[in-house]
Amino acid sequence: MSNILSLLPVFIFLVFLLAVSLKIQKDSAGERATNFAKDYFIGGRTLGGFVLAMTTAATYSSVSTFVGGPGMAWIIGYGWLYMAMVQVVVIFLVLGVFGKKIALVAHKIDAVTVIDVLRARYHSDLLANFAALVTVAFFAATMVAQFVGAAKLFEAVTGFSYFTGLTMFGVIVVLYTTVGGFKGVAVTDAFCAIAMIVGVCLLFGCMMSAGGGYTKIMADMAASHPDMLEPFSAGKMPMSLYISQWLLVGICTLSLPQSVVRGISYKDTKSLHRAMLIGTVVIGIMTLVATSIGIFAKGILTQELSAYGTIDNITPRTIVECMSPFWAGVCIIGPVAATISTVSSLLLTASGSIVKDVYMNIRAAQGKPLANASIKKLSLLGTIIIGFAVYFISIAPPSVIWKINMFAFGGLETAYFWVLIFGLFWNKANKTGALFAMFGGVIIYCVSMLLKFKLFDLHQIVLGVGGSLILFLIGNALGKEPDEATQQLFFPEKFD
Amino acid sequence: MKQSDKFRQANREAVATCVGTLAVIVFWCLAGFGLANSEVMICSTPLWVWGGCVGTWIFACIVVFILIKFVFKDFSLDDEEVAK
Repeated sequence: MSNILSLLPVFIFLVFLLAVSLKIQKDSAGERATNFAKDYFIGGRTLGGFVLAMTTAATYSSVSTFVGGPGMAWIIGYGWLYMAMVQVVVIFLVLGVFGKKIALVAHKIDAVTVIDVLRARYHSDLLANFAALVTVAFFAATMVAQFVGAAKLFEAVTGFSYFTGLTMFGVIVVLYTTVGGFKGVAVTDAFCAIAMIVGVCLLFGCMMSAGGGYTKIMADMAASHPDMLEPFSAGKMPMSLYISQWLLVGICTLSLPQSVVRGISYKDTKSLHRAMLIGTVVIGIMTLVATSIGIFAKGILTQELSAYGTIDNITPRTIVECMSPFWAGVCIIGPVAATISTVSSLLLTASGSIVKDVYMNIRAAQGKPLANASIKKLSLLGTIIIGFAVYFISIAPPSVIWKINMFAFGGLETAYFWVLIFGLFWNKANKTGALFAMFGGVIIYCVSMLLKFKLFDLHQIVLGVGGSLILFLIGNALGKEPDEATQQLFFPEKFD
Repeated sequence: MKQSDKFRQANREAVATCVGTLAVIVFWCLAGFGLANSEVMICSTPLWVWGGCVGTWIFACIVVFILIKFVFKDFSLDDEEVAK
């Protein structure tokens, strides 16, 4: 059913985002002429509360919010929704714990990336470069996975080929991220977040009427799948999975660099406070509505899973079953928006890592700092090259990408968790401890994932973060205490 | 506000945020698992779903509201002492 009507809404939305981004580029020409990196990678620290909330929530919600999550909920039922609700803490946790502290430090040292802050704290090029490498590798794999997920969904819903969908939103997201920089990403993210909410609510409404109403869907479920109404779903949702998810998609997301960097980007403390509240409201609605779509899809897709293939087909099949091509086209803006808002933030952080954290720093260390014009050229070039590399890989992704992607989320959390927490809140934390924690944690996590080794049936994130903590403490005991200047910069309260 | 007081306040807020998160986790357990054996259905949906899912969301919003209203404080992020 390739129908032009189902393609048009997404296309218009994408062109609109590109226009927004171009407008932002034009408006910030002045700031960019003086300090390009600061404007491009952090938006000149001007985000207000609403945009900060929306960009943090949109970056966090990805294509799996719309595809993988509902797919699992279709099998497990309310237990999966109950588990997914752990995500209500993620926005206020990262902004509340790191937001003020990292902003205070960043204002003093004029930092524009999380790695800038780590470098100032630990004075280790090795740590900063390894962090940049881990970030770029894991982000690249995640971006490919996001593109593939969205392009498959697009194909299943609109009937247009995988390549058409991928090219349409792949090229546009790379372009608008490149021209718009951080401010462009943040503002387009805000539009994406709104589109996501509209998309899921639309689908929710159509499903209710297609399934014969809420009461009927629920009565059928209680009769044919009573386990979907239990938290443990007749053993399909064990306690260990709840605990694992609380850590993996709840508490440990605290340290994801793409979220933490948002703590450097806001205008004033009022914006931060407002963002914590708006973000929590928004992420809650999004999780509730998007995940429950999977549960209620049980009333529309009533056959066994084998009839539909994989769980990733649940969302697209539901959309096709209960919406006309045009409305399906409008609805699919939601998952596409979730994908591109994640990709845009990762892409900018990745290019910032390479250009700002690695290359500009090497040049500065050689005593040949880059001029503003070269920073501009390199940043734009870096973003567009990484972006198109990801796009081309996504056309026919090699299987190694899926392996890296499996490690990406937890790997990033492990790498940054203690390094950030101790770095910002413990004045005695030193370089040796941080190096041990970051290298050791990532190795422990990746090896235990490869070997599928689990402790108490809990996800490997427990081993990664736990091992990283122990290594930090050992390394810290071996290393030298940080010098006084650093301590005064990060912990002035200790010197009163 | 003195620079060192701002850092002290930021530390306090970070701790309060962790306490708030803990409160959400406890509420989530009690309102979800705690009500799982109840036979009560509201709008054909089990009580634990209302408590653990919708309830947790509302509770989290209340926690954040309390945090930003009573614990978090407004101050300039720039170092005013240096500016002088």
